[in-house]
Amino acid sequence: MESGQESRIENTSEVQTVDESETLADSAGAAVAPVLEARSLSKRYDEVDAVVGLDLRVGPSEIYCLLGPNGAGKTTTIHLFLGFLEPSSGSAHVMGLDVAEEPLKSKTHLAYVPEQVMLYRNLSGLENLAYFAALGGKESLPTDRLTEILGEAGLQADAVHSRVSAYSKGMRQKVGIAIAIAKEAGALLLDEPTSGLDPEASNEFSELLEQLKDRGVAVLMATHDLFRAKETGTRVGIMRHGRLVAEMTTDEIGHADLERIYLEHMHD
Amino acid sequence: MQTKTIKTILLNEWRLLAADRTLRIVLPLFIVLFAYALANGMAWVRFQEHTVQVVREGNVQRTEGLERELAAIKNGAEPSSPFRDPRNANVMGGRRGARSVALDPGPLTALAVGQSDLLPYYYDVSIYTNETTFLQNGEVENPLNLMVGRFDLAFVAIYLLPLLVLAMGFNVLSGEREQGTLALTLSQPVSARRFVTAKLAFRAMLVLAAAIGVSLIGILISGGFGSSGPLGRILLWCAALTVYALFWFALTAWVNSLGRSSSWNATVLVGAWLVLVVVLPAAINIAAGLLHPLPSRVEMITAQREASNDAVNRRSELLARYLEDHPELTGGDATDEPSRAALAWAATDAVNQRLEEVSERHRSGRDEQNELIRRYRFLSPALLVQEMLIDAAGTGDSRFARFQSQVRAYAGQWQSFFVPAILAGEQMSADVLPTLPAFNFVDESLGDVGQRATVPLSALIILVGLVGAGAWVGLGKVRGAG
Amino acid sequence: MISHIVRKEFMDVVRDGRFRWCAALVGALLLVSLGTGWVQARNAQKELAAAQATARDHWESQGEKNPHSAAHYGVYAFKPRLALSFVDEGVDSYTGTSVFLEAHRQNDFLLRPAQDATPAQRIGALTAAQVLQHLVPLLIILLTFGALAGERERGTLRQLLATGVGRLELAMGKALGASAALALLLVPAAVVGAAAIVVGSPGPATSPLVRGAVLAGIYLAYFATFIGLSLAVSARAPSARTALVVLLAIWVVNGLVAPRVAVDLSKWLYPTPSAIEFAHTLEQEMANGVEGVDRPDRAVVTQNLLAQYGVERTEDLPINAIGVFLQESEVFGDQIFDRNYGALWDTFKRQGYVHEALAVTAPLLAVRTLSMGLAGTDVEQHRHFAAAAEQYRRDLVERLNGELTENSRTGEVYLASADLWSQMPPFRYDAPEVSWVLKNRALSLLMLGLWLAGAFVVVTYAVRRAEVA
Repeated sequence: MESGQESRIENTSEVQTVDESETLADSAGAAVAPVLEARSLSKRYDEVDAVVGLDLRVGPSEIYCLLGPNGAGKTTTIHLFLGFLEPSSGSAHVMGLDVAEEPLKSKTHLAYVPEQVMLYRNLSGLENLAYFAALGGKESLPTDRLTEILGEAGLQADAVHSRVSAYSKGMRQKVGIAIAIAKEAGALLLDEPTSGLDPEASNEFSELLEQLKDRGVAVLMATHDLFRAKETGTRVGIMRHGRLVAEMTTDEIGHADLERIYLEHMHD
Repeated sequence: MQTKTIKTILLNEWRLLAADRTLRIVLPLFIVLFAYALANGMAWVRFQEHTVQVVREGNVQRTEGLERELAAIKNGAEPSSPFRDPRNANVMGGRRGARSVALDPGPLTALAVGQSDLLPYYYDVSIYTNETTFLQNGEVENPLNLMVGRFDLAFVAIYLLPLLVLAMGFNVLSGEREQGTLALTLSQPVSARRFVTAKLAFRAMLVLAAAIGVSLIGILISGGFGSSGPLGRILLWCAALTVYALFWFALTAWVNSLGRSSSWNATVLVGAWLVLVVVLPAAINIAAGLLHPLPSRVEMITAQREASNDAVNRRSELLARYLEDHPELTGGDATDEPSRAALAWAATDAVNQRLEEVSERHRSGRDEQNELIRRYRFLSPALLVQEMLIDAAGTGDSRFARFQSQVRAYAGQWQSFFVPAILAGEQMSADVLPTLPAFNFVDESLGDVGQRATVPLSALIILVGLVGAGAWVGLGKVRGAG
Repeated sequence: MISHIVRKEFMDVVRDGRFRWCAALVGALLLVSLGTGWVQARNAQKELAAAQATARDHWESQGEKNPHSAAHYGVYAFKPRLALSFVDEGVDSYTGTSVFLEAHRQNDFLLRPAQDATPAQRIGALTAAQVLQHLVPLLIILLTFGALAGERERGTLRQLLATGVGRLELAMGKALGASAALALLLVPAAVVGAAAIVVGSPGPATSPLVRGAVLAGIYLAYFATFIGLSLAVSARAPSARTALVVLLAIWVVNGLVAPRVAVDLSKWLYPTPSAIEFAHTLEQEMANGVEGVDRPDRAVVTQNLLAQYGVERTEDLPINAIGVFLQESEVFGDQIFDRNYGALWDTFKRQGYVHEALAVTAPLLAVRTLSMGLAGTDVEQHRHFAAAAEQYRRDLVERLNGELTENSRTGEVYLASADLWSQMPPFRYDAPEVSWVLKNRALSLLMLGLWLAGAFVVVTYAVRRAEVA
C-alpha cells in the first residue's frame, strides 16, 4: 500500500482493517469459492486513479455493499466485473473466470441492474424481459413464467403489456430486476439500485434481495444509502478515491456506528 | 448459442422496427420509389421496342417496294425516275435500298436506362454509310430531360439506396448507447461485434429484399428470365447492388464503432455520401477534362468539308456536279453513265478515308480520357457500381460500341457487295435482293460482361473488406456503454 | 442587441471545425468549377469561332458555280458559347453544337458533347451552378439545423430568451450570422466570377454583367429561402437530430427526386415523338403536302409564269422558271418544317413548363431554370439560336434562288461568278436580351418569389410558436 492519508485506517474494535480483511473474507467464504473476486484490481484513466489495488471477494448468499461518495470508484468496480472496462492491472474474476480473458463466458454468470434501467421504449415490459432473458441464454422461457417473474420483481400485472415509454423509473427498475432474476445468474451487480425510488419501493426491493440471497446469489451493490446497506447487506466496504478503506460485517455494527465510521473516512 | 443469440437480436429488431414510426414510413416510401423507377424503366423499354419494330418493318417495306418495281420493269414498265432506277447498283445499294439495323434494348434496360436515352440505337446502312453516320443523334429528346436523367432503378440504387442505409443504421450502436439500453445488452454474454452485426444484417436483409425483390419483379414482368443470357446479367445486377449496399452498411458500422454521438455519426455519414457519390466523381471528371481534353467533334465537320472539296476539285467538272445535284432540272434524258457513278464513288471513298482518320484520332483521345477516369474510379464506389449496373443492364458504353463496330463492319460488307457492281456498271435484278448481306447482331456473351465486371466488382468487394475490417477492429474495442 | 447575436453566431460558426471543412470543400469546388468552366468555355468558343470562320472561308472560295449548287453546298453554323456559360453549362452538352444549312432541308443539330462522354461523366458533371444549387444549400442546412433545436436541447434557449431578446430578433440574428459565414465563400466566388466576365467573355451575350448581377440575385434569394426553411424546421423540430433528418429529406427531394420526377411527368403529359415517327411524318408531308399546304407543281408554276409574262414558251421568259419553282418549293418546305419542328419545340417548351411548375415542390427547379436562362444555356435559347440559323438558311437560299431566277433563262446552264459568295452576308447571331429571358421565365421568377415569401412567413410563424424547453 502506498503511503498517504487514505491508507491510514482506524483500528477500532468493531472494524476490521483492510490488512485483516483477508481473514474475514476467507472466513465468510471459507467453505465455498468466491463468486466475485477482485485481485489487486486497478483502473487508471489518463491522470486519475479510479480504482487502486482492490481486493474483494463476494461469496454465495452474501450481499456486499460498496459505500462511498461520488467518484469513489464504486461504479468503475462494477464495470470492471462486467468487462465494460479493461483493468490497468490486476484482474476481476467471476466464478473463477478471468473477466478480461473470458468476457462472454463470465457474463453468463452475471446479472446487472444499472442505476438507470433503460429499456426499449416501444416494447412492453414483457417483451423487453423476453428479449434480454433470451440474450442472457434463457431463450425458451414461456410467457407465463416471464409474467410470473415480473410479478416477483414487483411490477403490477396491468403494466406488463403496456409500452415501457409509459413506465416510471421504479417500474423500469423492476423490469431490470426481473431481467436479473430470469437469468438465474450466480452473481448480481447492482449500481445504486434504489436511487430515485420511493421508500416503499425501496423496501420491496430489499425484500427481493433477501430472497435472492437465500437462493445463494452473490450480490455486489454500489450505494450511497448507509441505512439500506446496513439493513440489507451482509458486509459493507467503504471506498474513497478508488481505494477500499474499510470493510465490516453488518451484524457487528449498529446504524450509528456505520455512519460515524463512514464520516470519519470522508473527512480525514 | 451464437446463432440463437443472433436470432434473438433479429427478432427483437423486427419488433423494434415494426414499432418505429420513422422506419415504418421510410421503408414503404422506398419501395414506392423502387416501383416508380421500375415503371419508368419499363415504359422506356416499351418505347424502344416499338421503335425497333417500326425500324425493322421499314426494311420489309423498302424491299417489297424494290421487288415490285423490279418486277414491273421486267414486264416492260419504265422506272419511276431514271435516278431512282433500282437496277442501278448505287440506287439499290444507296438510299433507296438502305438497310436499317437496330439494337434491341439491353436485357435489363427496364432497370437501368443508362446511355440508351442518349446514344442512337438504329442506323441506316447503305453504300454512303461512313463515320458521319455515327455522329447522328439518338432518340428525339428534350435536352433538359437528357441533362437531368431518368428516374430509374439504377438512379435509386446509386444515389438514394445509400441514404436509406445511412438512415437505417447511423445510430445502430450510438442510439442504443444514448437511450441507455446498451448497458443492459452488454451485461449479457453478447459482444458489441455480434450485436451490431446482427442489427445491421437485419437492416441489410430488409433493404436488399426490397431492392432485389423489386428488380426481380421488374425482370419478371418484362419477361427477361427467358434465355440464359439475362440470368447471368441478373446475377451481376444483384451482386453489384448487394456489394454496394454492404459497402454503406460497413461504413455505417465503422462510424458507429468510433463511439461518437448519433448526430456526429449522421453528419459524418452524410458527408461521406456527399464526397463519395457527388464530389469525387465530379473531381475525377474535372481532372480528366483538364488533363486529357476530349478532341472536338467540330474538327470532323471541317475535315469532311475539306476532304469533299478536295475530292470534288479533282473531278473539276462543274456541269457533272450540277447534274448530280439536280439532274431532273436539265429536263434532258440523263441516262446512266457508269463512269460518272464510278467517279462519284471514288470521291466518296476518298472522303470516307479522311473521315476515318479524324474519327480514329478522336477515338484515341476519348480512350485516353477514359483511361484516366477508369484509373481513378476506384476512389468512388458510386462510379464502380454505376459501371456495373448499366453494363449488366446492357445499356452501357460497351454494348453500344459493340453495336457500332458491327454496324461499321456490316457497312463494309454492304459496300463490298455493291461497289464492284457500281464500278462495272452492272444492272441489278430482283434476284439480287435475297442475296444481300444481312445484319445479325452478335450480342455480348455472359463471359464478356462478366470479364468487364471482374475488376470493379473485386474492387468494390475489397473496399467492403477494408471498411468492414475497420469496423470489426473498432467494434472489438467497444466494451462498455460509456 | 441583434448585432451581438449576429457576431456571436458568426464566431460560433466560423470556429466550428465541421463548418470549416465543409466550407473549404464547397468553396474549393466552387472556385475550381468556375475556373475549369471558364477555361473550357473559352477553348470551346475559340474552336467554334475558328470553325465558323473556316466554314465561311469554304463558302467564299467556291469558285464559279450555279447558285443553286452553292445552296446545296451550304454552310455550317456553329452555336457559340455565351458569356456566362462557364457558370452554368445548362443543356449545352445535350444540344448539338453544329447545324448544316443547305437548300431544301432544315437539319438537326449534330455533335452533342454528351454523346462522346462516358456514363461516369453523366453522373459526375459538376458546374459552378450545380455547386450553388446543391452543395451550398447542404452547407446552409449543416450550419443552421441546430440553431434553435440545439439551443433548446442544451437549455441555452431559455437563458437567451430570459435576457429579454425577442424571438424574431434571435432568429434574424441567427440568419444573419449564418449568412455572414456563407459570405466568406460566396463573396470570393462572386468576385472571381465577375472578374472572369470582365476579363474575357468567351462568347457573345448582351450585357453579361447585368446577367451576372441578376444571376447573383437569384441565387441569393434561393439561399435566403433555405436559411428560412432551415431555421423554421430547427424551431419546430423536437430535437436537433430530427431537424437534421427532416432537412436532409427536404434536400434530397429538392435536389434528387423532384428534378427527375419532373422529367417523367413532363414526358407523360407532353409525349415526345420518337425520332423515326418524326422523320416519317416529315417525309410524308414533304412528299404529299398537308391540307392547306400543297406541294407546288412545276407545270402549274410554269403556266402561271407564262401567263404572267404573256409568252408561250419557257425559253421566252425573261427569268429562269426553275429558280421560281425552287423558291416556291422552298417556301412549301419551310411551312412543313415550321409545322413539325415548331410542334416539337413547343412540346419541349411545354415540358419545360412542367419542370418550372414542379418548382412548387422544389425551389431548385425554379433556380435552375433561371440560372440556365441567364447563362444562356437553356432549351429556349438553343431554340432562339436554331431559329436564327434557320432564318439565315432561308434568307440565303432565297437570295441564291433569286440570283438564279434573275440572271439566267429557263433551261440555260448558269454559273455565277466566284465573287458572288462573299456578297452574301455571313451568319451573325445576337443573343437575346436579359428582359427576353426573364419574360420567358416569369413562372420560375414567380415560384422563387413564392418560396422566398413562404420561407419568410414560415420562419416567422415557427419561431413565434417555438417551444422554449
